[in-house]
Amino acid sequence: MPRYGFVIDLKRCYGCYSCQVACKAANHTPQGIDWARCVPAETGEFPQALRQMVPLVCQQCSDPACMKVCPTGATTQDENGIVHVDKNLCMGCKYCIMACPYSMRQTVDEWKTYFPDADGELDAYESYIKAQWEEKNGYGIATKCDYCMDRVKEGRDPACVEACPAKARYFGDIEDPESEVSILIRRERGFQLNPEFGTDPSCYYLPPR
Amino acid sequence: MLPNLKAQSKWGWLIAAYLFLAGLGGGAYVTGAIAGWLGEEWLGIYKIGICLGFPCVLVGCMFLLADLGSVKNFWRAAMRPNTSWIARGTIIITVFMIVDFIHIVFGVWPAKSLAEAAGARNFISVLGIIFAFGTMIYTGILLGAARPIAFWSTAMVPLLFLVSAMSTGIMAIILIGSMGSEALAGPLHTLAQIDIAIIVLEMFVLLFYLQGTHRVPESRASAQLVLIGSVAPLFWLGVAVLGLIAPLVLDLLDVSALAAICGIIGGLCLRQVVLAGGIHAPLKAGRFEIALPIV
Repeated sequence: MPRYGFVIDLKRCYGCYSCQVACKAANHTPQGIDWARCVPAETGEFPQALRQMVPLVCQQCSDPACMKVCPTGATTQDENGIVHVDKNLCMGCKYCIMACPYSMRQTVDEWKTYFPDADGELDAYESYIKAQWEEKNGYGIATKCDYCMDRVKEGRDPACVEACPAKARYFGDIEDPESEVSILIRRERGFQLNPEFGTDPSCYYLPPR
Repeated sequence: MLPNLKAQSKWGWLIAAYLFLAGLGGGAYVTGAIAGWLGEEWLGIYKIGICLGFPCVLVGCMFLLADLGSVKNFWRAAMRPNTSWIARGTIIITVFMIVDFIHIVFGVWPAKSLAEAAGARNFISVLGIIFAFGTMIYTGILLGAARPIAFWSTAMVPLLFLVSAMSTGIMAIILIGSMGSEALAGPLHTLAQIDIAIIVLEMFVLLFYLQGTHRVPESRASAQLVLIGSVAPLFWLGVAVLGLIAPLVLDLLDVSALAAICGIIGGLCLRQVVLAGGIHAPLKAGRFEIALPIV
């Protein structure tokens, strides 16, 4: 069985937010939920200051903190290492939101329109994505990114990987030593975010220049 | 450079009320159950304590249910006790409520004579005390299991909640007892004296808790938020003045009913201060530290 993972190349990302928008388009996420997002970071002081965009997705930890604390059994890990949440089992206690070191579990209480001028009525597109969201996820429960598993099963890459114009994102099997992601992690010294929490993420970052 | 760390906002007053009432109920039960072994004079205290536990914890659970995003699945809360402290806590708190309910029923004819004859009251008291301590302590461990929030993830939180739970439990008994007959004046005075000692202890526990936040940037940020930041008014007025200094002074002046009202409000504020001070660790991507965008 593969262990799906990401490699995000920090020296390639220029912060265009395509991943964030592509994720929204593919997963119909409401306002307040960004399964993929891009955040600015800086370090050092002038004249040695550095600025860096850091794209974030669910890290699909092999020992997920969110799954450990989940009291209902709604959070599960499949054989590919992807952590799923079952909307029919989650009771919305928000414990996973507290326990996730990467803040990747997110919840909303209601649909807020993206187009506030539209007289309170949703247009045809927004009605469609709202229905899609309610069917696949819903409100009050702690949703999360699943690396677009339905697309992956069709042989495609996750939406954010397909959309990235800088080719800063790679998707693949990190347990196969011959895969592109494994080679990149080895060759360019990929690292994980916050290793001190011991969750062993499947998402690796390649260092900026 | 340190990013601008922000506190979590998903757990607010509803959860604070739950943590507070679970603690108060447990504390009142333990006090009552112990009073049950102290003879005829303490019988009134025993009854008040036993009868406070179950309803307080039940009302607390209602607050918890009100905070859930998908209440229809609340019954699944105990499905994963092997790893989740919410699941373990649900079991502890449910057993406590059942035991206390049986204990209350023991006081009602015809179960009364049965209970006394079989010595079942002692047994149920010991069982109840064990699970009451579980209820008081687990609320702190529950927060501690959220490891990225260093302000919660310390052994001082369960201790702080335990001491506060005992104090508020005793004060709830004093408050209700002082509305009743004069016969309870003696035991109530003793309880107020014990409460003084517990309040002093709580002051030290709180002091050491805040002192212990110096180790990592996120818990230093929490301490700043609580002591001089946006949570500071609630901390200084609600916890320090209303919850600790006022009941201590009023107990010393022998105005213990008023002390109890102040202290009980302070106990609720304490839970909210701890919750509102919870700050996640920043993301560390190599040299870069990033404040988490949401939560």
